[in-house]
Amino acid sequence: MGNEATYEQLKQSIVDQDEDAVLEAVNKALAEGVDPRDVINNGLLPGLNVIGEQFECEDIFLPELMQAALAFQAAMTVLEPKIKEAGGAEQKKGTIVIGTVKGDLHSIGKNILKLLFETSGFEVHDLGIDVDLFKFIDKANEVNADIIAISALLTTTLIGQRDVIDALKDQGTRDKYKVIVGGGATTKEWADSIGADGWSGSAYDAVVLAGKLVS
Amino acid sequence: MIDMIEVFDRAEVGPLISETDYYMKRYVPKLSEVIARHSVKWDKETIINTDDDLTDRVFQAAVDLLAEAGAYCPETNRVMQFTREEILVACSQAPKSATFGEDRERKTMYGRRPDTTDDRPWVHVGGGIYTTDEQIFMDTVEKMASFDIVDSVSVPSILHLRGKDARVRSPQEILAACKTVRLAREGIRRSGRAGLPIINGISAASQPASMFAASYPAFGLRPSDGFLIDFLSEMVVGYEALQKVAFYNSISANIGSTSTPLFGGYAGGAEGVAVTATCYMIMGNLIFRGTYHYNAPLHSKLHLSSTKPLIWAIAMSNAAIGRNMGYPMVNLPYLGGGSGTKQYHYEMACYLLAIVTSGGNVFSGHPAMSVQSDSLVPDDHKFHAEIGLAAAKMTRAEAEPLAQKLFPLFGDKLKDPDKGMTFQEVYDAKTKRIVNSEYQKAMDNVRSDLADMGLEVPVS
Repeated sequence: MGNEATYEQLKQSIVDQDEDAVLEAVNKALAEGVDPRDVINNGLLPGLNVIGEQFECEDIFLPELMQAALAFQAAMTVLEPKIKEAGGAEQKKGTIVIGTVKGDLHSIGKNILKLLFETSGFEVHDLGIDVDLFKFIDKANEVNADIIAISALLTTTLIGQRDVIDALKDQGTRDKYKVIVGGGATTKEWADSIGADGWSGSAYDAVVLAGKLVS
Repeated sequence: MIDMIEVFDRAEVGPLISETDYYMKRYVPKLSEVIARHSVKWDKETIINTDDDLTDRVFQAAVDLLAEAGAYCPETNRVMQFTREEILVACSQAPKSATFGEDRERKTMYGRRPDTTDDRPWVHVGGGIYTTDEQIFMDTVEKMASFDIVDSVSVPSILHLRGKDARVRSPQEILAACKTVRLAREGIRRSGRAGLPIINGISAASQPASMFAASYPAFGLRPSDGFLIDFLSEMVVGYEALQKVAFYNSISANIGSTSTPLFGGYAGGAEGVAVTATCYMIMGNLIFRGTYHYNAPLHSKLHLSSTKPLIWAIAMSNAAIGRNMGYPMVNLPYLGGGSGTKQYHYEMACYLLAIVTSGGNVFSGHPAMSVQSDSLVPDDHKFHAEIGLAAAKMTRAEAEPLAQKLFPLFGDKLKDPDKGMTFQEVYDAKTKRIVNSEYQKAMDNVRSDLADMGLEVPVS
């Protein structure tokens, strides 16, 4: 209580996708003695929720989403050291390793999903495009991921999603991670047939799915 | 127009920049800037624009976008830059026609202007939808090719060998691509129209090696067919695309420059897609040395082309090029409704009314967002070709009220489209006649609905 105006300023600066305004609001909040975790949870994340809703409603598009994410990331470079100084840990919903399967060079859908994951409070490790299947697994091991998210646009690259799941089974680590798949050529039937933990036809739905899987 | 090798060199000498910075510091801000500079605005209601001044401003915005943002080559991390003068020269020297096919089936596709009502547009049918069975593949191609009104076909993909799917970049993919071409040509021969062109070469090839292998003349493709070269991501010109440019220009083949600007992606909304789609057609000629363009804007979340802002944007890009460049265009729509559904037919009718009156040629589309295998049902495509030819007798102003009547018949279903049928569910396996009465009834009902609305669609 008592910090509502500060939180509102933080939220609005994110909604405005204004990095300078975000940093100004963050520094002001810290100077006022607001806990950095409250800056995130009560100010920045509510702003990112608005951004997510605007994106879903097609009021804004990928460029605006990216601007908001960049502004959030800039704020986190200020806030993370403060949280560590105070002996706390940043709260996150979960950790996700994401990438487009080997042989597939398409990135836009995966990039949109990555941004939505980030702006929804997940820690995201983006492996990019044309990703070797063992890179998914190695990275998931390295960062102790909760979810591996695999994108494929082409019919001829879908098989790469199954390969990751099969390799996890071979290594005996299938139960360690939730695996979700998506991309232009995928369907729920395909996801079920390869034993994925979830499929989504849109990036926004994928964020909801990921939230359920880590809850 | 600057020559091909000079174009390739531009990928080696432009400014160095990361892909993220290219988008966030060049393409995205420049796109916003040119949209504002030329006052490009969609009113959120219109489906078919009739304002020629706005149309020409979209074209100018597209020229400015290419001149100021350039294209991006990910292999060299460089911006491919072109001067405004180079771009305008390329536009003025762009092909106004492309000739396809052999012998009796040799015909010419023309670039069309909006509101042309006294010509017969090019009629193209089919799509690269995955087919599970070789016999169905042959039957599908044969039946599409057998329709008299058809000038060219896109053939489905057959991506498996000995019952297993061919993995991208694998040797099996090369064999699958070669097999697709051989079977397609045979299917066309069986229709009695051996010279008919295939203009989606090569649907089963995801890499240059597969395309080049399947282009070996003995497999049946010819330079008079059409070979697609695509922009992988917004404004991205990769080495694989340039390799195809080098090869298909070297055999003097028809090149279909292909683009899929994403609504909701880096291009943003309706205005951004209209400008970017138009820009791609300019780039398709200048960079890919295309002879025709395959325009396929898509919704990034719904994976279809039939939302109101997208149809507006696609029609606008056709009109912008039709009025200012004359480059021949076909437009590949992705629809939500499955094969044989009334939703699919209504979506196609609305789409074709917009595109054909705006200067595009006739192209049937992919049902069920192109993800249902065996969903290429030839009689759907014949019906849609007939709708396209009927639409070609109308102006944009005449078509707009019809499009507005049609949109509510499917608009609310786009997020959860009606499921459709497969080839096997529609046709008798031996006679290839329609045996599914529901399928025929849906088509007859829509034909009747269209007539009631004022669009008579004669059976060809």
